[in-house]
Amino acid sequence: MQSIGEQIRARLPYQRRNAASFALLIFAMVLTLSAFAEVGLARDGSIPAGLFVYGGGLAVLAFAAYFVQAKFTPYADPLLLPLAVALNGIGLAMIYRLDLDTSADRKAAALAGKKVVADAADAPSQLMWTFVGIVLFVAAVLIMRDTDKSDAPLSFTPKTAQRYTYLIGLTAVIFLLLPIAPGIGAEINGARVWIQLGPFSVQPGEFAKLLLVVFFAGYLVNKRQAMSLIGKKIGPLSVPRARDLGPIMVLWFFSLGVLFVQKDLGTALLFFGLFISMLYIATQRVSWVVIGVGLLAAGVFVATLLPFMGHVNQRIDIWQNPKPYFDGGCLLESGKVVPVNPNTEIYKRFDTQGSLSPGFSACAELGGSYADSAQLMKGLFALAQGGVLGTGLGQGEPWRTPLSFSDFIFDSIGEELGLTGLMGLLLVYSLIVQRGMKTAVAARDPFLKLFAGGVSFVLALQVFVIVGGVTRLIPLTGLTTPFLSQGGSSLMANWILIAILVRMSHDARKPAPQAIQDEGMTQIVSTR
Amino acid sequence: MNMDKPVRRVAIFALLLFFGLMAQVNYVQGSQAEDLRTDSNNARQYADVFNSPRGQISAGGEVLVVSKETGKDNPKYGRSYQDGPIFAPITGYFNGNATQVERAYNSLLGGKDKRITQQRWFDTFIGKKAEGANIELTLDPDAQRTAYEQLKGKTQQGRRGGAVVMDVKTGAIKVAASWPSFDPNEVAPQTGEKGAKRLEQLNKGSGVIRPLVDNALSQTFPPGSSFKTVTAAVAMERLNLSIGSSVNTGQLILPESGRPLPNSHDSGSCAGSAPLKGAFAESCNTSFAKMALDMGIQQLHDGSAKFGFGERVKMEPDMFAAESAVPVSVTDAKGQTVETGKDGTARSGIGQENVRATPLQMAMVACAVANNGKIMNPYVVQNVRAKDQSELYNASPKEFGEAMSGDHADQLAEMMRAVITEGTAKNLQGMRIAGKTGTAEQDPASGIPNSRWFVGFSPIENPRYAFAVVTEGSGDGATNAGPIAGAIMSKVLKK
Repeated sequence: MQSIGEQIRARLPYQRRNAASFALLIFAMVLTLSAFAEVGLARDGSIPAGLFVYGGGLAVLAFAAYFVQAKFTPYADPLLLPLAVALNGIGLAMIYRLDLDTSADRKAAALAGKKVVADAADAPSQLMWTFVGIVLFVAAVLIMRDTDKSDAPLSFTPKTAQRYTYLIGLTAVIFLLLPIAPGIGAEINGARVWIQLGPFSVQPGEFAKLLLVVFFAGYLVNKRQAMSLIGKKIGPLSVPRARDLGPIMVLWFFSLGVLFVQKDLGTALLFFGLFISMLYIATQRVSWVVIGVGLLAAGVFVATLLPFMGHVNQRIDIWQNPKPYFDGGCLLESGKVVPVNPNTEIYKRFDTQGSLSPGFSACAELGGSYADSAQLMKGLFALAQGGVLGTGLGQGEPWRTPLSFSDFIFDSIGEELGLTGLMGLLLVYSLIVQRGMKTAVAARDPFLKLFAGGVSFVLALQVFVIVGGVTRLIPLTGLTTPFLSQGGSSLMANWILIAILVRMSHDARKPAPQAIQDEGMTQIVSTR
Repeated sequence: MNMDKPVRRVAIFALLLFFGLMAQVNYVQGSQAEDLRTDSNNARQYADVFNSPRGQISAGGEVLVVSKETGKDNPKYGRSYQDGPIFAPITGYFNGNATQVERAYNSLLGGKDKRITQQRWFDTFIGKKAEGANIELTLDPDAQRTAYEQLKGKTQQGRRGGAVVMDVKTGAIKVAASWPSFDPNEVAPQTGEKGAKRLEQLNKGSGVIRPLVDNALSQTFPPGSSFKTVTAAVAMERLNLSIGSSVNTGQLILPESGRPLPNSHDSGSCAGSAPLKGAFAESCNTSFAKMALDMGIQQLHDGSAKFGFGERVKMEPDMFAAESAVPVSVTDAKGQTVETGKDGTARSGIGQENVRATPLQMAMVACAVANNGKIMNPYVVQNVRAKDQSELYNASPKEFGEAMSGDHADQLAEMMRAVITEGTAKNLQGMRIAGKTGTAEQDPASGIPNSRWFVGFSPIENPRYAFAVVTEGSGDGATNAGPIAGAIMSKVLKK
């Protein structure tokens, strides 16, 4: 039986779609430049200088990327690059807009000799990281060669990674552990996901995500026969052998560890969900999904029962009922939430005593566990302010939300572009994911199928976890919003992700080598 | 074994995740948005109110309150009050928070009311801010100014005075003046920190003076003899008295303490026996104290409830007068319930003991007298117009209740006229007013001066307006409140 991918290929040979890609890229640039223009027109009534610096800079980069893509991967999926550029552009415009609102304050603080807030919207550095990201995209497209050249000496293709499956898996684990390591690990905004490299803070987790996909793909390609075929049939499910359960148990412990130690439900969900989905793709066995989801649910359930795991309960409580925690709430053992916000007497008392975080100290005295939902609520207020059509870029007050330029940039965009703008953004994300999935279907090699499917799904999951968090669909976790959030690591990792998909889509969509009819009996034998 | 089928399934699952996000964003920005925008924790709504101009407030065609651009970023718009202290009892102040009309009509003034946003749904849809609506008050600005000046002149230093005039046929408030007052300009948004401090200071007040609590609608005083109007009305109904009924005006020994309840004078009608009209005109305490004793406090309480005692009279949505009361029992400082005994009942009959009334309440009593026993619900906003002059609201007079029969009202009106012609307020002849005087003692032993009242209607025949004036100080109501009422009514009647 032919696979679906083969059927599609047989009926509809892929063509070069560079013209379409170019047209879409122009559209993405028009979108971005209009966004910059709107910011300026709304704020000062004139086209801002930033339009030429930021918009122009992005345009030059994007078209450079396009020409590399058209020259070296002419059969690549035409949508991926323009969609990524559109997201990056809108994110850059939003950060530029937030930067305008805070830069005056920062200048004043610097002049007054006060401490300058390091953690603020910073458009110039975001443009720089965009530059680095797109250069990495170009480099990756140039370095990686077609899969059928895998055997040529010194060639690097997406498939090359399969040879180093375990090495890459080990690297991923090291990357994940680096921020915890003393010395280089750094804590920013209460989250220990950074390492300090000279002047730069890097989030190795962003890269670990990609490495994990490679590792899972390589591992599962090797084991999938055993994992999918062997097992006992119990009812409608076929239960796998105990020894095949090993990897899923390791991942389960790992995810629960993240959940327990870092109180990070989102990251746990991200890694575990990624593994389960790839396991399912590799084995086609629903039983793996049932086992995986069951394990995770059981783990979370047990966590909510354990007394010392109170914060998991609290996370769920804040998510369901954030109001009492606004500006600080204290969950007592009785399950009651007492406010310890700056209006309360106990807060004022600790404040006058000079406590660094009066709310936290007040809650400690009450014997409860402290949490603050102001961020989440303020994000929701921003969304509500935007309504259906938004306030218009430059006309809202997204700076009212803490981290409006990183974790909460989705809410900031929601305030100024409204429901309409967010629907557009979510469509752009889902298009990228679906084009990635299409690449997976079109790919010929099982490793590449898993690889493409995995990176596409991890992107979808990440968007789901962070956007779901800031819109209160699921409990909030601090993850970056791909291509929109301020931050270099995320931009670099995601541009590499797009480069991999572009290269693989070219590989999958290019026509098969033509048999040379004249040579009679000669056959083309693929070495794959 | 190929992997296309599971990849497609995972792709569909990814799509479902996005659909979930889309549904949630729709829920938050669509259905939940209104609740979130008005959430008490949402600081945006408070800051936002300074970002667009509020509607104007005017009275008698005169613009009293406007929003002005400050030229600064925050607040973008300030608020300016013409003759602030004079009109403050009705306009209230605005500084993000608001009082009185500024508060009751906040959503219309701020342009956020559904009546505006629905009319301007397209503007709302494209995110254009709806403009605040303009409000026209029922006040007569000239009479209001006169009232303020008069109260200022006649009230003892450090004490309070208030005046209310209402249209008896509609309930429209023509005057609601208070002395002392405050200037809302001092606490308007443009004053910033300074204004906040000033507001705190005003809120604290000094002595009995609470500038933010106006003395026309929001402060109660013992009504003294002016309350005899209510006692007479209730007694006519429950004791079957009429204008000609002979009542005992002689000495009254209080049943519990055994001490006599004095009259101001024991000559004329108050010499022993007189028709009700005479006892009313000369304000014989003993007759009305006896009526109260005959009825009992419960009857007096229930009867006065028909006039509005015992409830916070609602003038506008979210704008209430203070509660006037004829209590059957009160809770003392120790939290214990003290019943109003026999002596207390007798003193309640002459508007003393624990009886308290706002000037508005006493004007409503006069309204019943002048309007065939019917009280019209008092209101202060005549109409509301959007920026394009389309009418969003127009007051429609409502009956507050029927306090007594038309016949009894006519008899009481006659008695009130007798107060001027032959009674305690002969000094007010020629002022086109009739009414009842009142001079209530408020603990003279501690040096607290009297509250002096004049409550009545104008003109004398076919009355169109009911009024109540109170000032604190030494002396009686006829000379210290009556002339104020005369001066105010001469302005009101000019219109």
